[in-house]
Amino acid sequence: MTPPSWNVIGKPIPQVGSRQKVTGEALYTDDLRIPGTLVGKILRSPHASARIVRLDVSAALALPGVHAIVTGKDAPRPFGVLPISKDEPSMGIDRVRYVGEPVAGIAADDEWIAMEAMKLIHVEYLPTKPIDDAKQALAEVANAADKIHPGTKFGNNLHKMVEQHFGDLPKAFSESFHVAKGHFEYAGISHTFTEPMSAVAHFDRDGRLHIWSATQVPHYLHRAMSEVLGLPMSRIRVIRPNVGGGFGGKSDPFPHEMIASLLTMRCRRPVRITFDREEVFISHHGRHPSEIDVAVGCDKNGRLTGLDIDALIDGGAYGSFGVVTSYYNGVLAQGPYRIDNFKYRGRRAYTNKPMSGAMRGHGAVNTRYALELLFDECAEKVGIDPAEMRIQNALPAYTTTINDFRITSNGVVECIEKVRDASGWKDKRGKLPFGHGIGLACSFYISGSALPIHRTRTPQSTVHIKIDMDGGVTVHSMAAEIGQGSDTVLAQCVAEILGLDVSWIRVKTEDSDLAPIDLGSYSSRVTFMMGNAAIKAAENIREQLRKAACRMAGGEPTDWVFRDAKVINTVDPSKSMTYMEALDEALADNGALIASGWYQSPKLGGAYKGAGAGLSPTYSFGAYITELHVDTETGFVHLDKIWAAHDCGRALNPLAVKSQIIGCVHMGLGQVLMEQWDFNHRSKGNIRNPSLLDYPMLTAKEMPPVDVFIVESDDKEGPFGAKEAGEGPLLPILPSVGNAIYDAIGVRMRELPITPASILRALEAKKKGKS
Amino acid sequence: MILPPFTLHEPKTVDEAVALKTKFGKDADFVAGGTDLLCNYKYEINAKPHVISLGTVTELKSFDTTRIGAGALLDDVMTDSGMRRDLPVIPAAIGVISSHLLRQTGTVGGNLMVDTRCFWFNQSKFWRDSISGCLKSEGDACRVVWGAKECVAVYSGDLAPVLITLGASVTIAGPKGRRVVPLGEFYEHDGIKRHVLGEGELLVEIRIPTEARTWKASYRKLRTRESFDFPVLGVAVAAKVDGDLLLDAHVNLGAVHTTPLSRDGAISQFIGKRIDEATASEIGEAVADGLVIHNNTAMTPAYRRKMVAVFTKRCFLDVTGKRAVAETASR
Amino acid sequence: MSQPPKEVIKFEVNGRTVEVAVRPYDVLLDVLRNELDLIGTKRGCDQGSCGCCAIHMDGRPVLSCLTLAKWAAGKKITTIEGLANPEPHPLQTAFETCGATQCGFCTPGFIMSAKALLDRNAEPDEATIKEHISGNVCRCTGYLQIVEAVQKASEELLEKDRPHDASVVERNRQTHPAGR
Ligand SMILES: Cc1cc2nc3c(=O)[nH]c(=O)nc-3n(C[C@H](O)[C@H](O)[C@H](O)COP(=O)(O)OP(=O)(O)OC[C@H]3O[C@@H](n4cnc5c(N)ncnc54)[C@H](O)[C@@H]3O)c2cc1C
Ligand code: FES
Ligand code: FES
Repeated sequence: MTPPSWNVIGKPIPQVGSRQKVTGEALYTDDLRIPGTLVGKILRSPHASARIVRLDVSAALALPGVHAIVTGKDAPRPFGVLPISKDEPSMGIDRVRYVGEPVAGIAADDEWIAMEAMKLIHVEYLPTKPIDDAKQALAEVANAADKIHPGTKFGNNLHKMVEQHFGDLPKAFSESFHVAKGHFEYAGISHTFTEPMSAVAHFDRDGRLHIWSATQVPHYLHRAMSEVLGLPMSRIRVIRPNVGGGFGGKSDPFPHEMIASLLTMRCRRPVRITFDREEVFISHHGRHPSEIDVAVGCDKNGRLTGLDIDALIDGGAYGSFGVVTSYYNGVLAQGPYRIDNFKYRGRRAYTNKPMSGAMRGHGAVNTRYALELLFDECAEKVGIDPAEMRIQNALPAYTTTINDFRITSNGVVECIEKVRDASGWKDKRGKLPFGHGIGLACSFYISGSALPIHRTRTPQSTVHIKIDMDGGVTVHSMAAEIGQGSDTVLAQCVAEILGLDVSWIRVKTEDSDLAPIDLGSYSSRVTFMMGNAAIKAAENIREQLRKAACRMAGGEPTDWVFRDAKVINTVDPSKSMTYMEALDEALADNGALIASGWYQSPKLGGAYKGAGAGLSPTYSFGAYITELHVDTETGFVHLDKIWAAHDCGRALNPLAVKSQIIGCVHMGLGQVLMEQWDFNHRSKGNIRNPSLLDYPMLTAKEMPPVDVFIVESDDKEGPFGAKEAGEGPLLPILPSVGNAIYDAIGVRMRELPITPASILRALEAKKKGKS
Repeated sequence: MILPPFTLHEPKTVDEAVALKTKFGKDADFVAGGTDLLCNYKYEINAKPHVISLGTVTELKSFDTTRIGAGALLDDVMTDSGMRRDLPVIPAAIGVISSHLLRQTGTVGGNLMVDTRCFWFNQSKFWRDSISGCLKSEGDACRVVWGAKECVAVYSGDLAPVLITLGASVTIAGPKGRRVVPLGEFYEHDGIKRHVLGEGELLVEIRIPTEARTWKASYRKLRTRESFDFPVLGVAVAAKVDGDLLLDAHVNLGAVHTTPLSRDGAISQFIGKRIDEATASEIGEAVADGLVIHNNTAMTPAYRRKMVAVFTKRCFLDVTGKRAVAETASR
Repeated sequence: MSQPPKEVIKFEVNGRTVEVAVRPYDVLLDVLRNELDLIGTKRGCDQGSCGCCAIHMDGRPVLSCLTLAKWAAGKKITTIEGLANPEPHPLQTAFETCGATQCGFCTPGFIMSAKALLDRNAEPDEATIKEHISGNVCRCTGYLQIVEAVQKASEELLEKDRPHDASVVERNRQTHPAGR
């Protein structure tokens, strides 16, 4: 397939806005300087579980320099990103459910005064016994009022349970040549973006509320604020300045956004709340601590026969995205392999901890680790090369899975072949000296959730374009640029259609007053959905330019192509004109050109309960190989090299795709080797490591070289053939490390993170024959 | 985050610094680079109303291979060609302290004086309040050892174990003049007491005997990442060797006790022996034997004890030339 | 809380002399951001563990979150805003073209660390670059393209044959950030 010749698409251009970032000009929320801004601080619960008996703010309010104090009673209506689990109050009202839960908000002249005021707020708590982990949460609770959320339908502290069964798993397993089984445990982990959350709210004299916030989901924030604050959406303006990373950690509406708003509505001065690092950990909504039992069956030829998954995940105190996570832990294991018998049970528990939520690779990462390790066990039992067995079992392109996922473009086999051949897999696997190993794993991920969170017929993404006499192309969309490069995608798509280079395009994606709705940066939806909307809008405006060209020079609208800021007549090149000439004509008697485009995903999926979870207009695929060695005396894992292949449909910007892949490798290596959200029963519900010192993310020194291979399967529905590259590339790195460790030392590590101590324990157990 | 209010004093001489400290006593702290103290202050850990900055005391800054001023910057000592030539273990050990950026302002004196650490202590005020503090902060009970009366916070500096094995001593200035104390006797048990500095006293310099240059030395550090992380174990070995014959040796462990921990007593039986892989292992086991390590930092005590043996072995192989001496002091 | 009075200090920042009133317990990061509106310097942790707040003090890369503002008195401070002159520094353009910046929040800190390295060592090898940027963390890029960008800038600077200023290196050795 020869790729079409494009001007802007497929070019490794620097990120739109990168000049501002490298020069220090880029404004993030905490960088905004609005005159009169007060400092907002949040008083937090020191108890994991307690009733609030008394709350008295009068002394604090009397302190000079304190302008407003708000408490839970000022906004009792709970919220949550999913309409089905709106269970979180802005501040604890009569009870608190985790250490760090907001109890009151203060606006003061400066931080010292705010801190002083905090000490003057009198809160009397009646501590109650906290639920520390998901297993504990399964115990029956006699009195519903004693549950973390009394209103749930279960007799214990479960939040959600989902069950699915396709095909006939018991039969499939009974007929299998081998069924590999394992119990896997995963520590919770945190997004650890570098920019702490921050929000500035200003209730102006016209009674409009403006909020600047470091958010991935301005639209959901907009909705939640309207509900909680009792203001119509039209009276709220959400602005998303530059965001210093999100990875899912800024994809919920948050209490601090409500609190800053309540404070400014009280005192009518702008209020800024910027978190310190500990507050970021407290508000983290990271990957759920999980226990997952997985069984994978295969026949004697290595064909997979069935998959059984039972996941128990620790949701913390509130819902967040947890209902979705509950599904994703199972359903996203439906690829990249054909699995016709599939059973899944997913349970999410409420516990007295900061809540877990969506994090890059949402719900898919932990199960993927287990599945890929057990896959290798099957390959070993059958006696077949795990790479070959993966190729054998790969879903073909354009097929349907047993749970009715529509698979379209699929480059997984090419991904496997690329990394297999580049890494010298055949000469290395099973042949390296003891302590050295190589491992392979694949991925499968959604490219945007086909179902929007709210039941609505409004498109998932809308893009507006305006062109005036200066020729500059202003593109509006609320798609949230959070560092992943969505503004660049937007600019490239529009520029390509109009035959301009990116410098003509002005991307405006910050302000809800100006830009049309896009649902936000989650579920890897932006490139696919916003990209398609942008193409539509640009095509629409190109049509207007074509008509103008015809008016000026005659010919048919189909005669014109747009390239290099020219409108070229392919039939009679002498009729060609510049883009500015065509524009001039188009503007005559008309004024500025405007156009709109939108994307709505097609209706997909089956009719069973939960059929919507995991549905996506298309899926990304990938395969990674990791080579490493283990210091068998210390248990340290040293990474030698990674080969990473990802099928993103089409690399609209190969530089950005490469960046995403390497960034994913970095983040995944952290989870597999060192990161953990450390809870300890003696810390009374506190995270033991709420700092960037004690919560370790890899530094440049730990980062191994990565060879990136971009596979382009050209998705028929994707913008220029593209699909996602921001989350899927995280999935294979963890199990490729796990499988490489097995190749190196013969133990399958079933607990993440894999610490040096756990490696030594596993080696010892193996020596004693217990592995 | 804010620093709790304090008055900053900037003395020009050691005498002025001593006078200020004598005047304010327990209401004052010294600060050098501030990379340890200011972090703790931001957490409102034992913050004082007076802070005496030593950066303006020029006497403290100079260094050569026989003496290092307490105020010498880690990065300067680390990159010094004389040091690299004569006492390479010092630059190697400095190279694994905190991070490249922190070493630009962190000082050698501050490193020797770095506060002891514990998961239950190095937390924000909010966090500590939620567990009602501990012996070393606002509380009255140890969170690590049930019922303990003495604080078990861990000495987590990297340089002290190395300097102790090299036979270094420190010059201390105080209201009564100056005194010299062997560094090995400078630290005192209990994570709160920490050291022998008395009222008004400060660290002026570290003296390193020239004989140290004839010893072979090695430092190995255990931590999760190769940057930032404090040691959860540091093993320093200095030895007088003739080929692989061990004539004399010192072993000191960091980050397993409230002070740097000398294990010279555990290895006396190996002096005069030839060191090979097997004897080095035996030395490792002997050094690890009987150690009590508490669960109050990253990595479990059981694992850290195992690593005492492994790292000690490796250090002895380093100093007897059985292993290429690492340029940096990592695992 | 009784607060000691502010004191006016004078220092040079990005070539301009400024006078600001600071509290004894203000850190330089806050003064740069809040008093001088130099918001390019970021706060990621406030505890020395991220490098987002790195600036140069008399040519040395230091963490402004752990530097008392008063220590800046009489010093030469350079922040990220001071690098483009007015054209962006080769490091800055290399970060753009190599994809070494994503969300950009860590970027000023990395560039300041890298700039200090290139001032000291015009042709650093990969290990040296990694060492010099290992006091900075980045959650987006995985560092590899940052290393690439530093290499690229180093090559570009060498090509331009801009001799690196030996006196800076010497000065670095002599001044202590907290001294005058
Ligand atoms: C993220 C991070 C990671 C770190 N990692 C490490 C690590 O891996 N290894 C390690 O050893 N350290 C580490 N540190 C701690 C610290 O950076 C170093 O120990 C550094 O050397 C301290 O020097 P300083 O000059 O900054 O000390 P300061 O903070 O100025 O002082 C530290 C203590 O010493 C006292 N003091 C300073 N000078 C004198 C003197 N002359 N006389 C008497 N008392 C004095 C101070 O009162 C204070 O109590 C880390 C710090 C951070 C923030
Ligand atoms: S803000 Fe200074 S190091 Fe993180
Ligand atoms: S670019 Fe986002 S943290 Fe580095």
